[in-house]
Amino acid sequence: MTAHAGAPVFSIGGGAGFAGDRTDAAVRLAASGEVNAIGLECLAERTLIAALTARAADPEAGADPRLRRRLSPLLPHVRRSGCRIISNLGAANPCSAARKVVALARELDVGSLRIAAIEGDDVMGQLDKVRWEEALPGRLIGAHAYIGSQMIARAIDEDADIVITGRAADSALFAGPLLPHLDQAPEAIAMALTVGHLLECSGQVTGGNYERPGGGGLDARSLADLGFPIAHVQRDGTAEITVLDHDPGIVDRLTCTLQLLYEVHDPSRYITPDGVVDFTTTRIEEIGPRRVRVSGTGFRPAPRDLKVVGFAEEPGMIADVEMGLAGSGAHERALRAADVLRYRLRDWPQEDLRIDIVGIDSILGGASRPANAAANELRVHVSARCPDVEAAQIIEDEVYALTLSGPGGGGSLRSEKRRNIATVTGFIDRDAVPLSLTWEASR
Amino acid sequence: MRVGDIAVGRSGDKGDILDLTLVAVDDEAYRFLEQHLTAEMAARALSRAMPGTVTRYAVPGLRALKFVIPGALPGGVHASLHAGMHWQKSAISILLDLEIDER
Repeated sequence: MTAHAGAPVFSIGGGAGFAGDRTDAAVRLAASGEVNAIGLECLAERTLIAALTARAADPEAGADPRLRRRLSPLLPHVRRSGCRIISNLGAANPCSAARKVVALARELDVGSLRIAAIEGDDVMGQLDKVRWEEALPGRLIGAHAYIGSQMIARAIDEDADIVITGRAADSALFAGPLLPHLDQAPEAIAMALTVGHLLECSGQVTGGNYERPGGGGLDARSLADLGFPIAHVQRDGTAEITVLDHDPGIVDRLTCTLQLLYEVHDPSRYITPDGVVDFTTTRIEEIGPRRVRVSGTGFRPAPRDLKVVGFAEEPGMIADVEMGLAGSGAHERALRAADVLRYRLRDWPQEDLRIDIVGIDSILGGASRPANAAANELRVHVSARCPDVEAAQIIEDEVYALTLSGPGGGGSLRSEKRRNIATVTGFIDRDAVPLSLTWEASR
Repeated sequence: MRVGDIAVGRSGDKGDILDLTLVAVDDEAYRFLEQHLTAEMAARALSRAMPGTVTRYAVPGLRALKFVIPGALPGGVHASLHAGMHWQKSAISILLDLEIDER
């Protein structure tokens, strides 16, 4: 059967936009029978750092620790509706993740599943071939190349039900299963990457993290049950973005445009391992309620180099500590508490110190708008880059000491001490990043 | 004119690069923002929160403007001294709350 030009040849859902994303919307997508595949984007800089840390302590760890919670409700639908799952939840250990999926499939007795793990993005073994943009500011704890869709497509061609990767580019999770179904014109490749970029942040294209001017956005109940996106893609790559009929959500020109341009920097050259795409020619048309047609993205071949993300651990840590103040005069007491800390910490290197007030200026700093009413509760906040654990403890103790020796009524303390890990960018020739496919089967 | 009354926006990051997007609600709003919301004006507003040089990208076909600031987030999200993590996802409110003189 030959599909006519306007008929979709493949439908794919965006089932997760980060490691901690909700699991229920993807289950509804899988159960609907409307999608051939679901991409689960579960890996960011922060989560990869956590995975590398876990793997350093236990060689079998390093996959997304939420694997079980996310996949348990999905696996039964993989068999039942033939919906494939592609995810980078392998994080720092895709093969271990694949073994865990097999164990889970057996435990849930969901029948025979073929699981492919793609490895090779970890480039710690070939660091001599990585060119960093800047000198590494500390000890490198991990380095991963952003890999493209080719090996994912191969795994699916070899009949994988589930494909697990490490640091695959977000768009590749979607372009991988999609591309083999499209004509191989450059415009179709560009559109597969466009679809990937539109779907990779789940609810951000269906009305999440979105406010219409003057209000009229989604209410709390709708946001609580927010539907995740579906792309119905034609052979030439033209895609229709929508949500399931019974799921709440907004899909319109504004939600799609915001997501299309999200974190792409120069819109005329968004660089992915599968090609450089040009969104300045992309057309976004509303063709029905909650249905948008996307087409026209431009394409140039990918550069030879793959981008590398590295994590450099600098000595010491960051202390992030708060104390709350409540009731009448909370603002004045919070300002006074902040000043007490400025006196107490006056010898601390000022570039490594930040003292502000949660509720006033802890997010936007000097760009915050002036408070236009007295708040009933505020929190004085300190973050400090500390040379060692002991120094971080001093910061925490100085905030806590305000409860005895600061302005009246301080309490509700909160403290976080995190490692001081900088993200660094580098490049590596793609020929220096050989990838491998490892198979597991649940029967 | 408050920018957020005629446009929607979102901010994010890659490494140390802050990346802000505005999409105008209609053609008239886009023409206004394209003409008035210059890189210099955005840089002035953002400079009170972070350092950096602002590059503006205009995408008339999508009625969108992007503002990109390399080096605005030294060390990336994990190394920030702002309270909590991922403060930069809130940074778009600096541009949405910007008032532009219509004359």
